Amino acid sequence: MKAVWKRDLTAYFNSPVGCVFLFAFATIMNLCFYVFNVLGASSQISNLFSIMLFLLILITPFLTMRLFSEEYKLRTDQLLLTSPTDVWEIVLGKFLAAFCVFALALALTLVWVIVIGLFGVLSPGAVAGNYAAILCAAAAFISVGMLVSSLTENQIIAAVGTLAVFLGLFALSAAAESSLSPVMGTVLSWFSLFARHQRFLLGIFSLSDILYYISFTGVMLFLTSRVLEKKRWA
Amino acid sequence: MIEVRDLTKEYPGKTAVDGVSFTISRGETAGLLGANGAGKSTIMNMIAGYTAMTAGTVRVDGLDILEEPTAVRKKIGYLPELPPLYMDMTVEEYLSFVYDLKKCRTNRAEDIRQACGALSIADVRRRMIRHLSKGYRQRVGFAQALIGNPDVLIFDEPTVGLDPKQIIEIRRVIRSLAKKHTIILSSHILSEVQSVCDRILVMDQGRLVADDSAENLSGRVGGAKKICLRVSGRAEEIRRTLLGVNGVAAVKAEGSREPEISDFIVTVENGQSDGAVRMLMTKSLAEQGMYVVEMRSESMNLEDVFLKLTSGKGKKAGGRTEKIAGKAEEGK
Repeated sequence: MKAVWKRDLTAYFNSPVGCVFLFAFATIMNLCFYVFNVLGASSQISNLFSIMLFLLILITPFLTMRLFSEEYKLRTDQLLLTSPTDVWEIVLGKFLAAFCVFALALALTLVWVIVIGLFGVLSPGAVAGNYAAILCAAAAFISVGMLVSSLTENQIIAAVGTLAVFLGLFALSAAAESSLSPVMGTVLSWFSLFARHQRFLLGIFSLSDILYYISFTGVMLFLTSRVLEKKRWA
Repeated sequence: MIEVRDLTKEYPGKTAVDGVSFTISRGETAGLLGANGAGKSTIMNMIAGYTAMTAGTVRVDGLDILEEPTAVRKKIGYLPELPPLYMDMTVEEYLSFVYDLKKCRTNRAEDIRQACGALSIADVRRRMIRHLSKGYRQRVGFAQALIGNPDVLIFDEPTVGLDPKQIIEIRRVIRSLAKKHTIILSSHILSEVQSVCDRILVMDQGRLVADDSAENLSGRVGGAKKICLRVSGRAEEIRRTLLGVNGVAAVKAEGSREPEISDFIVTVENGQSDGAVRMLMTKSLAEQGMYVVEMRSESMNLEDVFLKLTSGKGKKAGGRTEKIAGKAEEGK
């Protein structure tokens, strides 16, 4: 697993993908911080994480599109799948590489905490909760992107497909909120990554929602490994 | 070392490999020969564990690939038709990654140094793979297969797309590796298989139609041995003398291309030694004052054998592969 993780993490920064992702993320989020918190003289950072969640919809496909699609295209999946490394190690290694790039991007926002701590009123619980929630949501998003990438050798299709899935999940979230039937609303919210995140934005740390994100990610990683195994048996 | 039994791979609407069986002994170099689409790569992918079979078994060193896939993959170094290279890595980074991927327990630096040495790529170790020529990329592909010093090496079309100089070099490398490894390579180039392999497995439309050494294949498929002869003297006298030689079944006059020299094709009786008949013919003709100007065996060359095997003869009949018995049987 470590070999795949190291290789993929390095690959992000050997190509423009990693740097462009970090640059885009840091630029947009820091601009938002400047507008809402510096110019608005606010210590509230929940709205920034709300924006970050929507930004993730747009930029996660860019991060995950190459994970397996590029391997198929270069036929390097033959090297991976004929090595003694298990499929789950390959999947986990790739997932962790993409997740580390996001974590690195998120680490750049820690400067907000320092600024608010120095010049405003910092709520450590809310900050920790928001960071934990966005990390969990990003893990779920990346796992979806990786699953879509494992289905095609075309990176563009992988990116557009991932974006379509995210928009579908977002629509599901909206449907859950506007559902007239409470039962239907509950069922739909089980599948909504976005509705779950709302509670963290309100400052509620929900362990069940954290477990939901972890489980969702686990299921997506499992499905990705099944896709790879299915290719072997196709 | 490698035991393949009734290996079958079916895709929707197509049977890529149909009940193929063979055994390759330790240290042997076997060549899978066949036209494009004959099923060579599919067989290699199944042995390497990249593709699962629809039916049949593959055992490497006694281990079943489905029951112990990790252990089997540790024993195999695989070079697919398109070398699986990451263009954004240097040769050294790539080989180090492969070392980790294969979970090797040997000395990393020594392993990589040996692989680079065997393929003469030590001078490009620090260069990016994307900047290497096709020949060098192919060698890097070979080097990754050697990392971890696996017992079995599988090379799929190892010289495809290379220039003649590079082909000769790669063949030299394969021959040097054959001393220490069990090798299976695939090719649609007869001369390549002939030059590096102890044994040839001929594939046609997913079926194994022949399994023998190049020499035996030529002999078995070629039928009766024939000798081309050019002799100075009168044609009728020569013919009469040749027919009197022990071991000669038939003599066919082929006319004359030069004055006072007649051409013949002599068919040797089944079971007779080609060499002995040649000596007897030379002796008999000389005793009659007729001299042999040229003599050569007219065995079928491998191209002829290949075409004959893949043109309908030797194909499956009633669900059983008509196999030319050879080393596969001897090796059991």
